[in-house]
Amino acid sequence: MNSKSPSIYEQVLKITHKYLGAGADNFIDKQVENHLNKSPADLSITDLSSLIDWIKVTVSLITEDNTVIDNYTGELQKLVSHAKLRAGH
Amino acid sequence: MTASRDGTIPKRRAADQAQAEAIFTSVGDGFISTDEFGHITRINPVALKLLGYKRQELLNAWFPEKIIAVYADNMPVSLIDRPITKALLTGKPISEKTFLRRKNGEIIPVAVTASPILMNGKPIGATQIFRDITLEQEVDRMKSEFISLASHQLRTPLSAIKTYSHMLSDGLMGPLHKDQLKALETIISASNRMNELISTLLNITRIETGTIAVTFKTVNVCELVSELMPELTLMAHNKSITLKIKQPPKIERSRLRIISDSLIIKEVVTNLASNAIKYTPDNGKVEIIIRPGTKDVRVSVKDSGWGIPLHSQDQVFSKFFRAHNIVKKETTGTGLGLYLVKGLLDAVGGTIWFNSKEGKGTNFTFTLPRKPSKNLIQI
Repeated sequence: MNSKSPSIYEQVLKITHKYLGAGADNFIDKQVENHLNKSPADLSITDLSSLIDWIKVTVSLITEDNTVIDNYTGELQKLVSHAKLRAGH
Repeated sequence: MTASRDGTIPKRRAADQAQAEAIFTSVGDGFISTDEFGHITRINPVALKLLGYKRQELLNAWFPEKIIAVYADNMPVSLIDRPITKALLTGKPISEKTFLRRKNGEIIPVAVTASPILMNGKPIGATQIFRDITLEQEVDRMKSEFISLASHQLRTPLSAIKTYSHMLSDGLMGPLHKDQLKALETIISASNRMNELISTLLNITRIETGTIAVTFKTVNVCELVSELMPELTLMAHNKSITLKIKQPPKIERSRLRIISDSLIIKEVVTNLASNAIKYTPDNGKVEIIIRPGTKDVRVSVKDSGWGIPLHSQDQVFSKFFRAHNIVKKETTGTGLGLYLVKGLLDAVGGTIWFNSKEGKGTNFTFTLPRKPSKNLIQI
């Protein structure tokens, strides 16, 4: 029996935890609720581009390390690319 | 936009840019903008003067490194809690009072408004506008000091008035006829009201100056509210209002035991319930509902009163606020009760909110944490 694949929200949270630690849940929840006007559980792949724009500009006020910002947003961007690839198949 | 043959459009664009630059430079408040990487792109002369920097020291610098929001003790506010970060987290302008650290290490109190900059809906940076509020704070402090002093000075003559009025009414200075007794009742009732007003003013001064005494002890919210019921019932009875208290079944009441300040809780409930009674027409209903939450205890005070007009609802917790629909109906209010309630709840780590519909009634709910947070205990 296949286990249920993680939701987009869970994947975003997992990536965010790597970079922001314990504050990740609160950070992502606020971004989704405020910028996308939806509940975090309803986050979909089509929301990610807009979410990444907000994350990038917000994280730029938390760290000046561009490598961290690029890696973080890059990983999120990969979620979009993988989803597009899967949709293409 | 393409250039016209006679160069009109580029000329107009240049003129617009020069005008924008002139406005930006002339703004009376400090103004800073950043790009999407948090680097400072623009800063006006007022901001430079307030912060004590030269333009070249700030342009292209990383905003959080140079524009440091601090607490009154000069400890930096965490990056995630700074107004500019909060503006980007919420996507909305954030206005708050904070302190900024100048280049020479001094701190200045400021009122800040930070907002995201959007282009075609996409965030491309942020702005922070701020003004020095040193003078405003000094005026506030002097005002609070004056209120405190005046209140203390009023208490002494007032207690003499109350003592002698009671002695007269108890017949200790000879018998009084009916009209004299009635006049004394009015004097006693008016001096009680004045005493309450002085207590409110003193409490507000203590909150505003950070000198309110909070004593954390184990208390049962249900028991505290029950102790207030005789006085509140009497108030309600005078207006034929039905006052009810709704509490969880006995088995769950141990969950209403929390560590908090009993006097503050009583003051909050008394204020909310007496407001509910005051602003509910005769024969109405007021209900106090107490229920345990996972991390807190919640108390609601619900009435069938006149309600708060929608356009005034954002001012409810402001000092001296009185809704226009009740000013003519109730002339005795000061507009300080809810301001005090909010301040008292802040002191014990509680929160408050309300729902109200004009003509239907209002429901205020406040929470009390089961335990005070560490920073509150340190206070």
